[in-house]
Amino acid sequence: MPGTYEDETREVESSGSAARSGLPASRPAIALSYVILLVGVAIALVPFLYVVSTSLKETTSLFSYPPDWIPSPIYWGNFESLFADHPFVWWTFNTLFVAGAVTVLKLWFDTMAGYALAKMEFTGRRGVALLFLLSVAIPISALIIPLFFVVRYLGLLNTYWALILPPLANPLGIFMARSFIVGIPDNLEDSARLDGASEFTIYRKIVLPLIRPGLVVLGMFTFMLQYTSFIWPLIAVQDSERQVLAVGISGLQSAFLQDWGLLSAAMLAAAIPITLVFLLVQKAFVVNDLSGALKE
Amino acid sequence: MTDVDTGLSSTQLTLSPEEHRRLRRRYRRRTTLTAYAFLGPNLLAFIAFLLIPVVWLFVSTFRTGGVLGPAEFVGLDNWRDTFADPLARTSIRNTVVYSAMAIPAVFIIAMVLALALRTISRGSAPIRVALYLPTLQPAVVAAFIFAFVLHPDFGVINYAIRGLGGDPINFLGDTSLALPTIAGIEVWRGTGFWTMMFLAGLTALPSELYHAAEIDGAGAIRRFLRLTLPLLRPTFYFAVIFATIVNLQLFDSVFALTDGGPVNSTISVSLYIYRSLFLFGDIGFGATLSFLLVITVLVLTGLQTFLLRDRK
Repeated sequence: MPGTYEDETREVESSGSAARSGLPASRPAIALSYVILLVGVAIALVPFLYVVSTSLKETTSLFSYPPDWIPSPIYWGNFESLFADHPFVWWTFNTLFVAGAVTVLKLWFDTMAGYALAKMEFTGRRGVALLFLLSVAIPISALIIPLFFVVRYLGLLNTYWALILPPLANPLGIFMARSFIVGIPDNLEDSARLDGASEFTIYRKIVLPLIRPGLVVLGMFTFMLQYTSFIWPLIAVQDSERQVLAVGISGLQSAFLQDWGLLSAAMLAAAIPITLVFLLVQKAFVVNDLSGALKE
Repeated sequence: MTDVDTGLSSTQLTLSPEEHRRLRRRYRRRTTLTAYAFLGPNLLAFIAFLLIPVVWLFVSTFRTGGVLGPAEFVGLDNWRDTFADPLARTSIRNTVVYSAMAIPAVFIIAMVLALALRTISRGSAPIRVALYLPTLQPAVVAAFIFAFVLHPDFGVINYAIRGLGGDPINFLGDTSLALPTIAGIEVWRGTGFWTMMFLAGLTALPSELYHAAEIDGAGAIRRFLRLTLPLLRPTFYFAVIFATIVNLQLFDSVFALTDGGPVNSTISVSLYIYRSLFLFGDIGFGATLSFLLVITVLVLTGLQTFLLRDRK
């Protein structure tokens, strides 16, 4: 069972030393670790500061030397142009809606499939598991041409369905869900079964509540993959107003006109929703191991 | 369900072997039906959006046309054209070189950060959030961020280089630097993800072994090489496979930044596939390149599975 972040912190604090798998670290080791981490954090964050600074300046002032890191006066024109001249609000809504829909459907379908693979003895189980396992290794960008024709055949090009349906075929979540469910003791379900509960009731009332911590991780993982997806929306949707953030932002830049101020305003605004979602669930996210999914 | 229950309760007294077998079969049939109902949505998605596309790809590798006129069977022509196409070969080489640079780099950096995070006890939560922020960005956003940071005129890196008296470097405009730069951007974006993955793996390791190893006098480096790395094998198995699948699909950052240039030094297989969909009227070539990518990833993951899986 995946633990929660709180347990982890308590354990770390109570032992007063390194996390449970390590040994109490020596002072130089701790100091060195902080130095390494601070360098890592700086490299991760400084580029964002540059984006913040650029988004609050007029693009023409970018070329002044020496550069003004702190814009004065603060220029809001980039954000005004972003919201007034571009369907940025639509892009954000579309991205959140599509990522949310895919995440909810994937969690539902994958836990059902994971339950069947983990707990049911049925004809063809090995075959189905192998099929899903093989399809983990099928790269989606190799399928864009046929997917385009399948979705066009279904008459779904340029719709939300085109963005939501194909990602449902990603089988990775099935294995993660299965790895969570395998850990549930059989006798829990058996006793419910003797009480006359149907498999669906067992799935909903027993299995789902027990694997909730894992589902938060799987959900965030799915949401993030979807939020950052690019090549398929680029092909499946033509109308700018139906587009997702990543593709919309890439369209802001053209070969002849590079409006860095506008571009960085867009990137900053686009980073806010996903960061908020992440902060909400990060406690569960950071300590869980997804690698169990492909064991066996 | 009720049928089975009555069957079970009478088992204790009167069931003959045939009846027992018959009930067993019936129970099995029921379970099989239920199981496929549970698997249904995923099987449907699998058939519509994976199986049919892959079969379609395979068939299309032997055909030409199909977009404007009717498709025509051409045997192995597409395969011959694809292997003879210099740009196809360049795109395959670029994709492989990019993966060979990005994956080991991001794994080593993430491992170092994960080990450091495991060593400290205070302040690790905000550090983890900060390290994770790049991972939350779409690859195109990461790409644009570095288009600023590395810009020859006003990028911070080039300010620093000029400040030190050097000539500005056009990272994305130089044929030998562009692909490593693209790989570096992906390392920046991926580090947070893999750090958390490795940290989770490290945190799950049994501490008893470490105490035993310390009593035996094993030093830190020896403990890491002999104990930690082998114990992390399941994590690495997942990591290597997942990273290979993702990185061989390199597209977003080259599409946004270089469009394959300069002089095709960053053209990737996926970018070439994308171009073939829109630029050529004929899909046989793109289909063949796509099918080749599918086969490559399948074979590589199979190979990695063979090498990295726990042997029982």
